[in-house]
Amino acid sequence: MGYIWQGFGNTLVMTLAAVAIGLVLGFVVAVVKIAALNNKWMKIPAFVCNVYTTVIRGTPVALQLFLMVFAILAFPGFKASAAIITFGINSGAYVSENIRAGILSVDKGQMEAGRSLGIPWTQTMVRIIFPQAIKNVIPAIGNEMIALLKDTSIIGMVGATVGTLTFDLNAASGQIALGLGGAYLAPSLIAGCFYLVVVYAIVLVIKIIEGRLRKSDRR
Amino acid sequence: MIAVKNLYKKFDKNMVLSAVSTQVEKGEKVVIIGPSGSGKSTLLRCMNLLEEPTYGEVWVDDQLLTPVDPYLHFDIISLSNTYKKLVASGVSPDEAIVQIKQGDLLKRFEGFEYAAAIKKVRKENGIDINLARRKIGMVFQHFNLFNNKTVIDNMTLAPVLLKLKSKEEAEELAYSLLKRIGLEDKAKVYPSTLSGGQKQRIAIVRALTMTPDYMLFDEPTSALDPEMVGEVLELMKELAESGMTMVIVTHEMGFAREVGTRVVFMADGKIAEEGTPEKIFGDPQSPRLKEFLSKIL
Ligand SMILES: Nc1ncnc2c1ncn2[C@@H]1O[C@H](COP(=O)(O)OP(=O)(O)OP(=O)(O)O)[C@@H](O)[C@H]1O
Ligand SMILES: [Mg+2]
Repeated sequence: MGYIWQGFGNTLVMTLAAVAIGLVLGFVVAVVKIAALNNKWMKIPAFVCNVYTTVIRGTPVALQLFLMVFAILAFPGFKASAAIITFGINSGAYVSENIRAGILSVDKGQMEAGRSLGIPWTQTMVRIIFPQAIKNVIPAIGNEMIALLKDTSIIGMVGATVGTLTFDLNAASGQIALGLGGAYLAPSLIAGCFYLVVVYAIVLVIKIIEGRLRKSDRR
Repeated sequence: MIAVKNLYKKFDKNMVLSAVSTQVEKGEKVVIIGPSGSGKSTLLRCMNLLEEPTYGEVWVDDQLLTPVDPYLHFDIISLSNTYKKLVASGVSPDEAIVQIKQGDLLKRFEGFEYAAAIKKVRKENGIDINLARRKIGMVFQHFNLFNNKTVIDNMTLAPVLLKLKSKEEAEELAYSLLKRIGLEDKAKVYPSTLSGGQKQRIAIVRALTMTPDYMLFDEPTSALDPEMVGEVLELMKELAESGMTMVIVTHEMGFAREVGTRVVFMADGKIAEEGTPEKIFGDPQSPRLKEFLSKIL
């Protein structure tokens, strides 16, 4: 059971760190792509961003994980960080598309109204567009977090070993099962329950945030 | 004064405005009419550069908002490599200018002298578009109140953010404007709770919080239920009487006749006819205008 708790903690930490990276990255990429729509200086950065989202979303996350952990970031003792970075980068690509869609879903009259009052593009974005976009994006971001949480279960494939004691939840249950002579049922069910609880917690938090953000809608 | 000179606007291959020139003097109330798709909105939106013209220049109070249009400056054309080549090949200077203008022959790079001349015009007359827009209020067909802000925040955001007024000054002005339209009690509500007519009247006074010199209206009553059209037109009439310079795209011919000092009729991306309301409605010249009026009146 100790393994499970440790795995649980590792899974949470990895997910949170990856979510943080993913949100920042996704936000920047989304804004660059939107800015490129009417600013020719952003065209080249936007192209880079497009390559990023295309490549990341076009290849399996397991492949990306192997590539990062065993090739690109194959420094000694860096496995866990490399994995977190991989998941962050991976999540960023999906999050950026969500945020981009969220921004584009805001009526373009909102930007025009801001600009017609003499408010610069950036300020209109920050004061008017983002707050409205967030409302539309939160559910999708929640889904992305849930997917990411579960994606981290593949991390065992690259080396959750007994020596370093860095299990994630899934690997921990596998380890216990090995210890029990291959009785996978019980440990897997327990690990599954943990996943379920976290996912449900995320769903609840998202609901609460959504409720708060709806205050400017018709009551 | 807002002046548009030789304005062209292309969307992809679709030429929506071609060679439109007109000038709006202080105090004028110019009404733009014309069939759907004739480019009325596009022309209006070019005046504050919500739409960027393909060619041509937009001037506000002797300040240039658009990039310099070389085709409008004889002296700049004559500095271009294309011109020099044409003249060297035996074309007369006047003929070279005509050829260049008609054939759209200027390229992106026309030599150092030419680039410097363009830069000079820009430097002498150019202005930050955000500064120019402070002088030009705009009212949209769909109101475009900020959905995430209360009415009072809608009205104070721009003047406070742009440091034109303190928060207190801005709120004082906003409340006095709300009072003028009888909606003080709506100050703290979100736009989604308002009727269309209320939204549009607030959109109009929101623009007024910037104390603009000009106001542009793009079909301000077209999205309203019929019973709300009156209240908005009434407010616009008041505004007109207070001396505001206004450019109004509308299908309200009664309003055009009553308030307009000049009517511009657009067809196929061109100004087909313009004149006083009496002249345009009473004595139309072009067949297009006659046909349009017969359909609409
Ligand atoms: N952003 C755009 N992209 C592509 N085409 C556009 C765009 N905006 C306008 N157009 C086209 O330009 C033409 C003129 O449009 P505009 O909105 O200026 O007409 P209008 O006279 O205001 O018509 P209406 O009375 O219907 O508002 C139309 O054919 C329209 O389809
Ligand atoms: Mg229109």
